[in-house]
Amino acid sequence: MISLTKRFGKVQAVSDLSFTAQPGRVTGFLGPNGSGKTTTLRCLLGLVQPTSGTTQVGGHDYRELPNPAAVVGATLEASGFHPGRTARGHLQVITDAASLPSGRADEVLALVGLTEAAGRKVGGFSLGMRQRLALAAALVGDPGVLILDEPANGLDPEGIAWLRGFLRARADEGRTVLVSSHVLSEVQQTVDDVVIISKGKLVQAGSLGELTGAGISQVRVRTPQLEVLRAALNAEAGSGARVNVVAVSPDEIMVAGLEAAEIGHLALREQVELHELTPVGTDLEALFLELTGGGNPGGAA
Amino acid sequence: MSMVRSEFRKVTTTKVLLWLTIATIAFSALNVVLLVFLTPRAMDLGSDVNLLLDPAYVTNILGAAGSSSIFILILGIIGMTSEYRHMTITSTFLVTPKRPRVLIAKGITYALLGAALGAIAFLTSTVVTLIALSKENHAPVDLTVALQILGGVLLAFAIYAFVGVSVGALIRNQVAAIVGALVWVLIIEALVTVFVDWIGKWLPGGALDAVLQTTNVSGRGGSDILPTAAGVVVLLGYAVLFGILASLITLRRDIT
Repeated sequence: MISLTKRFGKVQAVSDLSFTAQPGRVTGFLGPNGSGKTTTLRCLLGLVQPTSGTTQVGGHDYRELPNPAAVVGATLEASGFHPGRTARGHLQVITDAASLPSGRADEVLALVGLTEAAGRKVGGFSLGMRQRLALAAALVGDPGVLILDEPANGLDPEGIAWLRGFLRARADEGRTVLVSSHVLSEVQQTVDDVVIISKGKLVQAGSLGELTGAGISQVRVRTPQLEVLRAALNAEAGSGARVNVVAVSPDEIMVAGLEAAEIGHLALREQVELHELTPVGTDLEALFLELTGGGNPGGAA
Repeated sequence: MSMVRSEFRKVTTTKVLLWLTIATIAFSALNVVLLVFLTPRAMDLGSDVNLLLDPAYVTNILGAAGSSSIFILILGIIGMTSEYRHMTITSTFLVTPKRPRVLIAKGITYALLGAALGAIAFLTSTVVTLIALSKENHAPVDLTVALQILGGVLLAFAIYAFVGVSVGALIRNQVAAIVGALVWVLIIEALVTVFVDWIGKWLPGGALDAVLQTTNVSGRGGSDILPTAAGVVVLLGYAVLFGILASLITLRRDIT
């Protein structure tokens, strides 16, 4: 649905980035803060002029769409609300401009669970309510493509769970859903595909399954003799194996790069008492941090 | 058309229009009261001349409707700049990615609002004038002249609101745009008009006065002004010029 290649800005915010989001799937657009996600989405939506390259939605430049609201619905972090306008008023401004019946405003407010707040001024809304209102605005034209920038920001756990179900349902209806986030775990349970960028460059694009296949399985280890075991693990790492040890608490570590059996064997050899030895499977967050440069954001937004 | 409706919705779902309408009514009424009760008395001190017996002066009192033009300019400026201030420009440009269309829709909308406020201002000044003059000895109110004033105010306020929209599109910071406009109208243009009045008549305020044909009220007494039709063209020219400049410069900027 979206095929996009571009570089942008005096500061190289996005460099030669290409990816596609497919209909019927939720695509997670991931990267640390300042990696260029928002800039990319703004280029896609015609708000920012790319230095070079083109972006397309459903085969068209966004600016050439005759009635964009009916094709693409978008929420952007910095998109604002007039504090003195009611939620319904905010949406009716959009329904008017998009030649939609103004009753559509109440329909989408119901969809996002804001019916009760329809007549209230947005100035008094919480961040979570604003996110819902932004989502309602994106849905006004019943678009086939949803582009949501950090939609989970400011939502409480209940809201996030609701959002997951909501996005899943939209994708199951055959829509294209592109969701950005700087926290993989936030969208991990929702997305089918992932596009990961770092410092404006594409790092990984593919299905979530492909990503987990490339993932690192970890083992949680608890022991009162942590230092002894650590030394042994580090010695193992020194001998060439790719072992990564992260301390969790004074008696607990996460080990990546070794199987549980191997760690157990090592512990036996070193005569270390173990209290726990649990394989925890793929740690996507660790993989994510590794792919994006250890969570150390570089460059400009 | 749908975009104009959207712009009307924007302005009617906030308080700005209400406040500026109140300001327009209050200022028009105040000016009438000053013209009826203060100025003639002050003049009376030295002589027996009663200005209220002068038909031209009575016409001038009705022309007080044009005195609140500055609020109309501000209305247009706020109409555009509040989109940037509250970042609603994002959703505006998402629905209408062809940005100059937004400017045109706003221009049309605010021109209509300007005309409506012009009608309100005229109604106010007429009613207050008739009440204020009712116990005074005065020259008759000429209906034809009154209608001319009405036409001038409607036209002037309509175009002036459009000028405000264009200025707001060019200077996106709301405070800067309003302060800049006030400084221009009240200080810079006033000075230019006093010292080099052949330039002054070509400036926006001069053109506005030409449309209003109320030079005495705005303190431009004696200085020459353009014919009304030329004033309309020049004022409209400023609105279009600023609008085109904005389209070429500020309107295309990235929304981040």
